[in-house]
Amino acid sequence: MSATAVHAGGIADHIHPEPQGFVRRYIFSIDHKIIGIQYLITGFVFLILAGMLAEVIRTQLLHANGGFVSPDVYNEVYSMHGSAMVWLVIIPLITGGFGNVIMPLQIGARDVAFPWLNMISFWIFPVAGLMLFSSFLIGAPVAGWTEYPPMSLQAGPGTSMWAAAIFLIGVSSTLTGINFVVTMFQMRAPGMTWTRMPLFCWAQLATAPLLMIATTALAAALAALFIERQFGVPFYDPTKGGSPVMWQHMFWFYSHPAVYIMVLPAFGMISEIIPTFARKPIFGYKLIAFSSMAIALAGFMVWAHHMFTSGLAPYLQLPFMIITFIIAIPTGVKIFSWTATLWGGKIHFTTSMLFAVGFVALFTLGGITGIFLAAVPFDLHVHGTYFVVAHFHYVLVGGSLMGVFAGTYFYFPKMSGRLMNETLGKWHFWLFFIGFNGTFLPQHWLGMLGMPRRVPEYDPQFQFWNDFSSISSYVMTFSILLFFINVLWSLRNGKKSGPNPWGGRTLDWQIPSPPHYYNFKNIPTVYGLPYDFGQPLPYKGLEEELTDSPVHVGAHY
Amino acid sequence: MAVASLPHGSSAGHDGVDQLYADTRALRLQGMLLFLVSDCILFSSFIFAYLYMRNSGQGWPPAGISRLDVAFASVNSVVLFGSGATMHYALENWKHNNFGRYALFMLATIVLGIGFLSGQAYEYTNLIFKEHVTWAGSGIFGASFFTLTGMHGFHVSVGVLYLIILFLQSVHGVYTKDKYFGLTAGTLYWHFVDVIWVVLFSIFYLI
Amino acid sequence: MHIDPAVLERTIAIIGGIIVAIVSAKALKDDWNTPGLDNQVFKLMLGLLFIGAIVAALAGANVLGNFPKAA
Repeated sequence: MSATAVHAGGIADHIHPEPQGFVRRYIFSIDHKIIGIQYLITGFVFLILAGMLAEVIRTQLLHANGGFVSPDVYNEVYSMHGSAMVWLVIIPLITGGFGNVIMPLQIGARDVAFPWLNMISFWIFPVAGLMLFSSFLIGAPVAGWTEYPPMSLQAGPGTSMWAAAIFLIGVSSTLTGINFVVTMFQMRAPGMTWTRMPLFCWAQLATAPLLMIATTALAAALAALFIERQFGVPFYDPTKGGSPVMWQHMFWFYSHPAVYIMVLPAFGMISEIIPTFARKPIFGYKLIAFSSMAIALAGFMVWAHHMFTSGLAPYLQLPFMIITFIIAIPTGVKIFSWTATLWGGKIHFTTSMLFAVGFVALFTLGGITGIFLAAVPFDLHVHGTYFVVAHFHYVLVGGSLMGVFAGTYFYFPKMSGRLMNETLGKWHFWLFFIGFNGTFLPQHWLGMLGMPRRVPEYDPQFQFWNDFSSISSYVMTFSILLFFINVLWSLRNGKKSGPNPWGGRTLDWQIPSPPHYYNFKNIPTVYGLPYDFGQPLPYKGLEEELTDSPVHVGAHY
Repeated sequence: MAVASLPHGSSAGHDGVDQLYADTRALRLQGMLLFLVSDCILFSSFIFAYLYMRNSGQGWPPAGISRLDVAFASVNSVVLFGSGATMHYALENWKHNNFGRYALFMLATIVLGIGFLSGQAYEYTNLIFKEHVTWAGSGIFGASFFTLTGMHGFHVSVGVLYLIILFLQSVHGVYTKDKYFGLTAGTLYWHFVDVIWVVLFSIFYLI
Repeated sequence: MHIDPAVLERTIAIIGGIIVAIVSAKALKDDWNTPGLDNQVFKLMLGLLFIGAIVAALAGANVLGNFPKAA
């Protein structure tokens, strides 16, 4: 594959006329920036819905004998909370949202490789989301987001709806993955070799094959579940020769890489934010880039660590345990690199930086409990308890969601031309940080004491820490409310940011905020890495970007 | 057979568009290949499911179900593989500007493709109505066989439609001697469908 | 003259398989030196087609897939 494009511009360097009319510009747009913002808006709406479901869970658990909702409804609530958060919130926000807005700008491209496909990928998302939530009307899925048979075979119609909706959103993911890989392979600006590409793009490059390959494996599992439920075709029903454990294999073969889909782009954003606010080059650029690829690859080889209590033979459990331990190494490499980047830097604690540093701390904690869980003997005791719930909320909320917040504060000016309110931002951060830890830290010992997950009521010995957790969750939710108020307020009243409020050095910060529809008047040539703070920028050809000079529509050869 | 050369391309004289087309070919090729990779994963997942279920200890075929008809399937396979060869030559002839031979091989591919689908329809009718092996009523044997071969048959059907559309487009001059990525993509898809069948034929009929 | 359909099928499979195998091998040999990613993929596909045709011919000849009657 050629590392640089053929002509003086990027591949097919040509500016089309600006789209006309509200519908073409903002509804059915093929512009990656608009599509990315559409993903962000839709994802945040689902965050609110799925977050409300979480508060139903925490409110139910205020009392040992439940009482807020019936046990059947409770099953629906946590199943939908998990499903929505994974498929309608984190994955779309972090791949379709930030990936779409930022990656083409960072590689100096005018758009992604297949803009129409991008638009279709987006529009599948709200349709699938609506489909999933409408299952509440006919009886939402009840077997958790993991929908293990036989329960998922026996449950009401909502489970089929769930399967169809997730299949649909999987198609969206797969197409996005293909789009991103081709974009990064073929459309980097001249001079941008792989080792000059920003780390956010490396993260998306590592994630895209997961989107493409893992999601299709899930599609197969879901299709089989659907046809078994609807047409009686036996795959998972043991009374007809099928195997419930086979579902687990097929489901987790996707869902383990899915967690890396949810976190790798967040790692990428952290890798952009930390050097910018420490005014220091990122430590270990190649280590971070290649560790992302290593994590993506190894992520395909550990799925059965979710199945240690499913009756697998010990000789099968052992390799999964060992490879899971090994995945900690590339992850640790990143943590150490970010820490080394901070060391000796001139640190500016903007809200974005607070969330980024908080991410590093909380993800590390979550990663450590992951190591505990990787050990089979330990996992046998805490599988299916709140210890697991605590672990994955640390990495997904303390990790991915904080990464989303960090990215929002960081890229909001790029998308809108305004800064978010820093005071409100700091309130958001501290209330969130305290609320989050209060919610999930106690769940570690609840799990070790034996409280199972997915239960609508529990033994009174667990009462105190459940209450502590629930009250803290209200604080966390309130802080997220502040976040949304900040977003809406800042869109109208935020201080104008100018093109580059943070002094960033990647190509996305060298053009106006918000960018013109064509991104770059002239595609620049790249001469080096973007992280050498204090050195001149390693680009040529950017002179006209921040001027009012007219743009030449048509081919740029 | 008279050797006809290709119809005049409609984009002749629009250099900017041709340049754009040439530059973006690599992009479209990679996109098509990645799509085929993901389709491969879809089939692989179901193949995993079939092999996992088959390995679950019960005899194969399960009691009461007789072995599949290898003889018939072998012929049907040869029909499909033959269509792969004719598709290759269709593209070759296009590249060498021989519209007449291209058309011949392209139509042969479509006919053979439809022939394969007819063979599958015959196989299904035989299984369902004579042997009483059905999708939902024959345990994991029916489930795996009909799901996988059905998925494959669906892909072949889409492929036949795709080839018909490509052929009509080529008749209308959409493609020229230098600009024919649609035909390349169609050939890639058709070969993919062929190769999947090599695997399915082997794992259902021969082991 | 009554020909057992299975014998006819097997004969066609063997002959057809051999023909397709020869044709794909020849095509592969002719195109061996072509450059470009798409051509590499085509060569791979032709190779697999060759293998497939051989497999189909062997299946027709009862060498592969030759099982005793199921119980």
